[in-house]
Parts: sequence; structure tokens; C-alpha cells
Amino acid sequence: MKSEYVGKRVPRVEGVEKVTGRAVYSVDVDLPGMLYGAVLRSPWPHARIVEIDLAEVRKARGVKAVVAGKDFPFNFGGMIRDQPFLAIDRVRHVGEPVVAVAAATEAEAQEALGEIKVQYQELPAVFDPREALAKNAPLLHERLGEYVHTGPYQSVPGTNLCTVRTYSRGDIGAGFAEADELFEDEFYIHAVAHTPMETHAAVAQYIPAEKNYLIWSSTDGPFRRAKELADALRVTINQVRFISTYSGGGFGGKGAMVAEAIAVALANFCKGRPVKVVYTREEELTASQTRHAAYLKLKTGVRKDGSFTARQAEIIWDNGAYASKGPDVAQRGGLTIFGPYRIPNLELLSRLAYTNKEPAGAYRGFGTTQATWACEVQVDMIAARLKMDPLEIRLKNGYREGDAYINEQVMHAVGLRETLLRASREIGWPPSKPKPLGTRFRGKGLAATIKGTATPTESSCFIKVNPDGTLTLLSSSVEIGAGQKTVLAQIAAETIGVPLASISIPNPDTSITPFDAGVTSSRTTYHMGNAVHGAGLEVRRKILEVAGEVLKTEPGRLSLSQGRIFEEGAGERLTLKELLAKKFGGRGGGLLAEGRFSPAGSPLLAAAKGREGMSSIFWMFATHAAEVEVDTETGVVKVLKIAAAHDVGTAINPLGCEQQIEGAAIMGISNTLFEELKMEKGRILNDTLADYKVATIKDLPAIVPIIVETPHPEGPFGAKGIGEPAAACTAPAIANAIFDAVGIWIKDLPITPEKVLAALNQKKNEGGG
Amino acid sequence: MKILVELTVNGEEGQFEVEPQTTLLELLRDHFHLTGTKEGCGLGDCGTCIVLLEGKPINSCLMLAVDANRREVTTIEGLEENGEIHPLQQSFLEKGAVQCGFCTPAMILSAKSLLDQNPGANEQQIKEALSGVLCRCGSYPKIIEAVQAAGGRNKKGLGNEK
Amino acid sequence: MKRLKPFAYFEPQTLLEAARLLVEQRGGAYLLAGGTDLLVRMKRGEIRPSALVNLKSLQGLDGIKPGMETGLSIGALTSISALEQSSLIQRNYPVLSQAAGLLGSPSIRNLATLGGNIGRASPASDMAPSLMVLTARVSVEGPEGKRDLPLEAIFAEPGKTTLEPGEVMTSFLVPQMDPHSGAAYLKLGRREGMDCALIGAAVFLRFSGARGEAKEARIALASAAPIPLRARKAEEELLSGSLTEERIQQAGRAAVSDSLPISDMRASASYRKEMIRVLTCRAIEQARQLAMGGIAH
Repeated sequence: MKSEYVGKRVPRVEGVEKVTGRAVYSVDVDLPGMLYGAVLRSPWPHARIVEIDLAEVRKARGVKAVVAGKDFPFNFGGMIRDQPFLAIDRVRHVGEPVVAVAAATEAEAQEALGEIKVQYQELPAVFDPREALAKNAPLLHERLGEYVHTGPYQSVPGTNLCTVRTYSRGDIGAGFAEADELFEDEFYIHAVAHTPMETHAAVAQYIPAEKNYLIWSSTDGPFRRAKELADALRVTINQVRFISTYSGGGFGGKGAMVAEAIAVALANFCKGRPVKVVYTREEELTASQTRHAAYLKLKTGVRKDGSFTARQAEIIWDNGAYASKGPDVAQRGGLTIFGPYRIPNLELLSRLAYTNKEPAGAYRGFGTTQATWACEVQVDMIAARLKMDPLEIRLKNGYREGDAYINEQVMHAVGLRETLLRASREIGWPPSKPKPLGTRFRGKGLAATIKGTATPTESSCFIKVNPDGTLTLLSSSVEIGAGQKTVLAQIAAETIGVPLASISIPNPDTSITPFDAGVTSSRTTYHMGNAVHGAGLEVRRKILEVAGEVLKTEPGRLSLSQGRIFEEGAGERLTLKELLAKKFGGRGGGLLAEGRFSPAGSPLLAAAKGREGMSSIFWMFATHAAEVEVDTETGVVKVLKIAAAHDVGTAINPLGCEQQIEGAAIMGISNTLFEELKMEKGRILNDTLADYKVATIKDLPAIVPIIVETPHPEGPFGAKGIGEPAAACTAPAIANAIFDAVGIWIKDLPITPEKVLAALNQKKNEGGG
Repeated sequence: MKILVELTVNGEEGQFEVEPQTTLLELLRDHFHLTGTKEGCGLGDCGTCIVLLEGKPINSCLMLAVDANRREVTTIEGLEENGEIHPLQQSFLEKGAVQCGFCTPAMILSAKSLLDQNPGANEQQIKEALSGVLCRCGSYPKIIEAVQAAGGRNKKGLGNEK
Repeated sequence: MKRLKPFAYFEPQTLLEAARLLVEQRGGAYLLAGGTDLLVRMKRGEIRPSALVNLKSLQGLDGIKPGMETGLSIGALTSISALEQSSLIQRNYPVLSQAAGLLGSPSIRNLATLGGNIGRASPASDMAPSLMVLTARVSVEGPEGKRDLPLEAIFAEPGKTTLEPGEVMTSFLVPQMDPHSGAAYLKLGRREGMDCALIGAAVFLRFSGARGEAKEARIALASAAPIPLRARKAEEELLSGSLTEERIQQAGRAAVSDSLPISDMRASASYRKEMIRVLTCRAIEQARQLAMGGIAH
């Protein structure tokens, strides 16, 4: 059957709002009586708060509320409840919120901060996660053992080990013994800032008599935040209402309470007035969330025919001062260190360490950018030593349809091979070693990745049919900018048989839209898509049932297409609008359907006993092929082209898929070559966008997005996901291309001209030519 | 001490008494309540505050409101005419040049300024003209396509210069 | 939002008035030109002016016109984008248009002024090196009257000019470029768009006829020293014989010894030194090609 909307390049359903500047983001929320917040932050990476003098600030012009940690002594944290709303007796990173002020104007709030006097007593600080795990390191969280852990995260109280996870399969010793060659390498990947163009911002209102909170925010998981807040403040979810605005980008960074926490703390003291907290760009860069930096050690055993026999991995994740989503990154994210490859013998030690720095949290890929960096550069190092084609070695070891994942889950919809072949073909493979242009050398490289989705998770929705036949989809999936609303509208329209334009999708509101586990983990198309599909089928059934009743015929003889009801053998009978008018008359009425989806219980998740928790309901695969040019005089690496192939299951919206693929490739280039948080004693020096450099339009290489489709048996119309894998392959593809161009390996990110020059010089000195 | 600022925004005259330290960005967002213009950094590094001053893009976060006295400003809200969106806005929609949308107003205004001068702008010129607006979603490729399509759409220039 | 702290605000009608205000406020008053540096420093809390004196209320401080005798006079309030787009500049001093086009971004260039950029006295100024190799002069007016001085004499130390209290730069005078001369400006940043110069190198060369010996050679560097720097040893090297590849390389090395770059969060001193060498050589080559009538990339 021809599809109306699925598979079509449908423009964003919220696009008109955005191109006309009318879309409301958190920073645009404006309410009567609203106050403005500003935050005084710690200048020290680790210190005891000795005394806070608030006498003067309370008298400052326009000030309505002043809150220090002692006034609101609660901790929050979705995984480990270790983070105070405002520092209570101690600060653990430069930039940690200490005192918040609400005033009638933003200028007054900012000005008032100068009236606050805080006395600190410096404590020894630790910045390197390896040092943090060493004996006698300064301890960040003495009460680690007492914090509520809401997941299977193993912490080691008395240390800075926030989460430790071990994993093994097979016999690592035997695996290495079987190998003809062993490769032992160490890699480092740096922290990066998500840098959404919309900084963190939230408005919170606390109604004292009802003890109710209203929060306007662009967080990616309003229900999860509602629960985190309810748990932290010991209220019920009914008392915490999150109203979602559009998001000016999250990339994972809006997956934790940031501005929300400050706004909520202040709101408690604002006598019912809403208070808005907007992070400045400096606060966004230095005091929100970052990606985890990580040290990765890989030991891989390989036979001389290129097949992998064993891999032992040790990862130390740099968590910064508070857990945020780090525990799950360490728990799950580390597993992608084994790559999309069949390796029988595995061992992993994954450790998450507290350090006195800005907290690290979820970042597009949730550990896969780090793991893929190490895995994929080492694969090329292996290929080079064995004199094997980097494409061949990946094809040889790479997962295929029906292969078992490391926990014996049988994987379906495995498009890895096709992504490898198409990306390499597009870039031109094998690399041809062109002559240098002056001092500029060109090279090509590949990298592949695998990513799953947190499984199982829940999504629910309602679809209501309004009296005039238009429809409303009530879903808590936030439009974080990646096209969530459009895909869901397409699925709904296709399933029900109504025009896309007749479906409206209001922004989430946790008091109205039902539970969703959040726009994370590349899960929305699959999970909410399935919920919408289910609700859509139910709506269609109900419509046709009513139609049967009104037309006095069997519903089975009726169909619905583009909002028109057709009868077998009789053609179009009436429109949906006419149907409802006939059914309900002038007083009106409506229809309602629920959709609820979770993959729990799916036979696709079956795995080795006790290891089902590692299954993913779908696996995403991607390959990036990069062509670079290295200027050996300046060390500058220019990316000429990226061929980015992504296995999405089915492309519900190919335009949307391209947007995500291109966008993530650019983010990958930016992370790899331009971005670096420069630190000195725990303080970030480059706290502006002038010095924390993200890619501009002039840095754009040729990008060829390649959509690979391997329909998933249980995905909506066969779809899987796309948002995250796109970000993982670019860095190693660039590094591998640099090796092809000039014969140097860069094993720690970012790739800077200085590093390239230093490596070239070293190679020259070693007689490498 | 407040100063009277009279200016035309999107064709409409407005008058406000403002403190000298008020920026044009603040004037537009807080006083005109035109929130399509954003602050992404406040320091001129990201471009999301770009508006057109007599058709030329400037960072409104770095201009004092008093310097906008008797000037003509165009914000994103000023591009529609009689409920019809501008060809550039249409083009951005069709080509998939919008993701989170936060940089979109600045991109569109910068492109408008370019195309009003040079309707046949090539890729290099488009990149140069938009080089001051950061897009973290990475919509650059489709933004370029959208600008090229809009330029091609109306080779004579894009109607009223605002 | 980043909000500015309050200040007194003045729109002087004459230069004398502006000068008087500056002197009265005893260093607490700052001149407002384009605002692209000033407002940033204010928002970052680096300075807290008691007053802003808006130069744009004065007449006649912008615009590009022929100089008194020869060359061009560029008003201090001329915007960087006007400089970049001026056909007069593109025709007669393409290096100035080239440098202007590398500064910031289009929207910044529409606000920023030449006077503002020079007055900021940043060693990373994109406009200073090319003006210096063209031997530009600055006209200054103050309570004691008018004077003009070579551009390099304006820079005292990072962020400070040699101007006396009350003095205002009014215009920049650029002498005519003789035949068989060419100038180029190269900038190295971390990314392609919107970048601050890690190193900038401007080179001016004049040849007499088609021979390979340079008669005039001037090299100026950005971000190579506390102030924009003339690389004199490198210039001497270029004038010491015919312009062979070896001489160019020597000049590049000499430029390094002329320089005193620092290590900061953007780059290390050793990388900067290496880039001074590389960029100087490349700029020399480009200037040579322009002087000879060829097209350099």
C-alpha cells in the first residue's frame, strides 16, 4: 500500500513557529509578577563554606528572595541523589551554585550578587580521575554510602568511586593465548560542552498553600524530572507539574536539572511569584553539564587473519563533582567499547570517578563517543600492523543479521555491513594516496559504531478526535529540535488515515500528557512512535465503528483515508467532520484512544540467562568515512568530506534523518578539531564562545548523508532510531584519515595542530621520513 | 537617567524611555516583546541576537538602544506580510533548514540581507554572510540549500527592502 | 541575559566637548564607537566605565576619501565592513579589504570601527599589521590641538594607547602604494569562521621593475608580541639581496627572532613561533605575487 506520510520528506510541523520567531523557548516565558534569578557561584574547586553573610544582599534594590543551601537543604539526582540544589556546607567544583537571588529585574538580581559575602576554607582538590581513584585522594562525597541510589549502581563509599561496573564473558586469558598478535593501547577523550544555542533556562513557581510546583523548562524528560524533584523534595508527582517549551538544543545536556534546580529553590521563597533563571553562556559552559572525559585502555587479541579473539578494556570516566547521569554511562555506555564486532572473550572494568570539576552527564551517545573513539582507532592500528584494509577487517569482524550480541541476544535489523560498504564507496575506497599539494597531504579513514537504546522503557500517549474531526496528540515527547513532533505526526496521520495538517501536537505538560521516559537514548521514534501507532489504530477502529453505526453498515466494509470515509463498493461516503457532526449533533462530542508501549517481554530481548538486562530492543549502526587534508607546516587538519551512513531501520522522515546525520557529523568535527575546555586548577579559562570554538558554517566540509534501511520487526513501520550514533564515528574517522595522510596516530582528543606537528616531528626524528 | 529612544521596528514606530545601559536586544525583547531575537551569549560570538539595521545585520546585544534612535530595525517578526511568510522562511521550511530553531531567525535575517543585495549569491558568499551565526544542530548544509533556493526563486530581489 | 551596569551617557557635539568629558571623568569615561569591544569588556566585568562618550554624535569622523596630497584618509569611525566593501580600498589597498574581511563576522563588521579596533590596542588586532606595512599614520585631536603620528607609535602596551587624556583618533592616512608593490595579510586561527588571530602576518613588498630584488619590505605581525610588531630583522633580510626561496625562509626565521609571543590558552609560544615563521614566509610569497601582478591564493 502506498504510504501517505511515512517515508516522505515532511517539513517540520512546528516549522512555521520557528521561522517566524514565535516559538517559545524557556528563556521566552514571561509571566505576570515574574521575578528574575541570579546565582553566586563558588570560585573554588573544593572548599568548606565557613560563613555566608546575607545581611546586605537582602536590602539590595529590587531583591525579593535570597536562598542559600542551608535554607533549602535537599539533594537531587536521578541516579544517585548526591547533588544539592545549592551548596550546603561545601563546594565541590568551581561554579557550583552557593547563593541564589530573586529580584524584580534581572539587572538588579545580577547587581545584588556583589553584596553577598562568603567565607570559604579551601580544601585539597583533585582534577584527574585517575588521581581521584588513588589512595589518599581528597574525598568529595563522604556520604556516598548514604545517598539514595535509584539503579543498580555500585559505589564504593570512602572513595571517589561513584560507580564501578565489571563485565566478562568467555575466558580472557585463553582468548589472548589464541591470538597471534596482541595490541595494547591507551586513549584519552576530552570533555566537551554540549553548547546548545539556547542556554539552560527555567521558570518555577511554587504555590505555598497547595504545595504545588509549576516549572517551565526545555528539559528532555519532563516526567523524569518531575519524579526526581518529587523524590528530592518528598512531594508527589501530582504536586510537580512540568510544562515543556521548545528546546533550543539539548544533546543530552538538558537531561538533568540545571536551571530548574535553582528556579525551584528560589520559587519556594518567592511567595507564589514565578521566578525565571536563565544561564549566561559562561554559566552554560562552566556550570551546567559536560560530556565525560575518559581514559580508555584496550588490549585486543587478533589472529593473523584479522579476526578478533579477545578484548580487555579498562575505562576511567571523569564524572566531575556530581553523579548526574554518569552512573548509567559507566554502567551501560562502556559496553560499546567492544564495538560492533564479534569478539568471544571479553572483560571490562568501568569506573566512574568524582573529580572537582563541572559535573558530566548525558551527552549524545551516552558513552559511545568515548568508546567508539578508542575502539575504532585501535581497529585501524590493528589493520595497519596486519597490513589489512581497514574496511576489510571491519567487514570480517562486524556484526551481521542474526548475530548474537555479547549477551547472546539475537540481533535483527543489522545494517552495519551496508553502512560500511556505502560510506566507503562514497568516499572512494581504498584510499589512493594522492600526491601532496605543497605541504598538504590528503587521506581517508573509516569508523563504525553500534548503539542500543535503554531497554525497557515506557511511552504512553493519547489521541483525541475533536468534534470537527481534527485530532490532537497528547504526548510527553519534547521537541528537542530533532524532529520528534513531525515523526510522531507522520506516524499518527499514516496510521489513522487523516491529513497530517489536521493533527496538532501541543508541547508536553506532565499534568495532561501521559508518561514518557524522555527524549533520550534515540528512543522516541521507536517507543513513542509505537505508542502513537497503537493509539492511532485504536482511533481508526473507533472512527470506523462510529461510521458503521452512522452509515448503518459493517465497519469492516469501511476505510479512512485523508479524513474521508470510504465504503467498499460505494466510494466516498462522508468526511470525518461530517461523521462526527452526524454522531454528536450540535452539542458536540469526541473520541479518545490510548497508546501505551514498552518493549518489555518482547521475544527479541531473549538472551543468556541473567544477562537479559544488556539487551536492547533495537541496535543502531553507523559508519563515517572521512577525507582530510593535513597541512604539515601548520598542523592544521581540514576535513574535506564526510560520508555518513546510518542504519535507521526505516526512515520515517528522510529529510529529518539527513538533518540528524549532517548535524551530528558537524558536531563530531567540531568536538574533534576545535573544542577544548581549557582548565587551570579546576577553573575553565575559555568560558565564552569566542574561545570555546564550535564549528561555523565556514567549517563545513562536504557531507553526504546515507540512509540505510533494515526494517526492524517491531519498530513502527520498521523504524529504529538515529539521534545518537551519528555523533560517535566522526572523531575516529578523522584520526584514521590522518594516519592515512601522514602516518601518525593521534590517540588523545582533541586533535589540535600542535599535536599533529608534534607527532609529525616525532615521526621525523624516529626516522619515519 | 532615562533617554527617549524613537525607532521604527518592523515598520512600526515606537518610543521608549530607557536607561543608557539598555541594549537594542533588551529593548526589542523586554520593551517591544519581540522574543524572536535571542541572546545566545551576549558578547557577539554567536549571532543569535542579529537583527537588520536598515537592512544590514548587526549584533543587537552589542548595540545600545540609544544608538538605535531614529533608525529602522527589522526583526524576524517583521518578515511576514499580510499573514504570508517570506520566501526565505518558506525555503527554510521546505529544505529542512530548521531543527531546534534557535538560530533560525538570525540565519534568515542574515540571508535576507545577503539576497537583497545579491540574489544570485553562491555557496561561498552564503557561507561568508552566515559565518557569524552558530548552529549547534548543524543545519548548515540545508541552510545553504534553503538560501540558494530562495535566491533562485526570486532573481530580482525579494520584494520590499525593510 | 548579560546586563550592563549603569553609566552616565554623553553625546558630544564637538571633539573639544568630547575631549573635555574624557579629561573631566579622569579615566572613568570611555569612548563609544562601534561598541563591539567596549560592551564585551563591560559585560565581562573587565571595566566599569562611569561614563560613555558616544563619538558617533560627531560629524565627519567616518568615510573614506582621498588624502590631503596623495593616498587615502579613512575616518576613525569608518566601519570595518565599509572598509572591506569600499571599491576605493579594494582597488588601491586590497590588503586592507582582505584584513577587514577576516575580522570577526559580517554583523560585527557592520558595527566595529577602525578607530575602535586600533584604539583597543590589542596585539591581535587584524587591522594593525596591514596598516603598519602601508606606513599608515594616525591623526589625533585633543585639548592641546592636532597631531599625527605613525600607526605603530599608537600602541603602548596590550590594551593601552599612547594617547594623552582627552585625545581622540580622528582619521588614518594611508599613503599611495607605488607601482610594482604588493601587500598581503594572512591570519591563522583555529577554525575558518569568526576567529581571533593566533598569529597574523602582513607583508608589503615593492620591487623596482621586474627584477627579483625588493626595494622596500615591511613585515608586521599580530599576536607575536605585546603590541602589533614590525619584524625589522626579517625586513632587513628581505632587503639584503634577491628574493630567493632561501632568503624568504631566512626572513621567516628572522621574524621569529623579532617576536616575543606568549603561551596562553589559545596556543603555546613555541607553536606561535613556528607559525610566525610559516605565515611570514607565506605572506611574503603572496605579497611578491601581488607585486609582480600575479594572483595569489
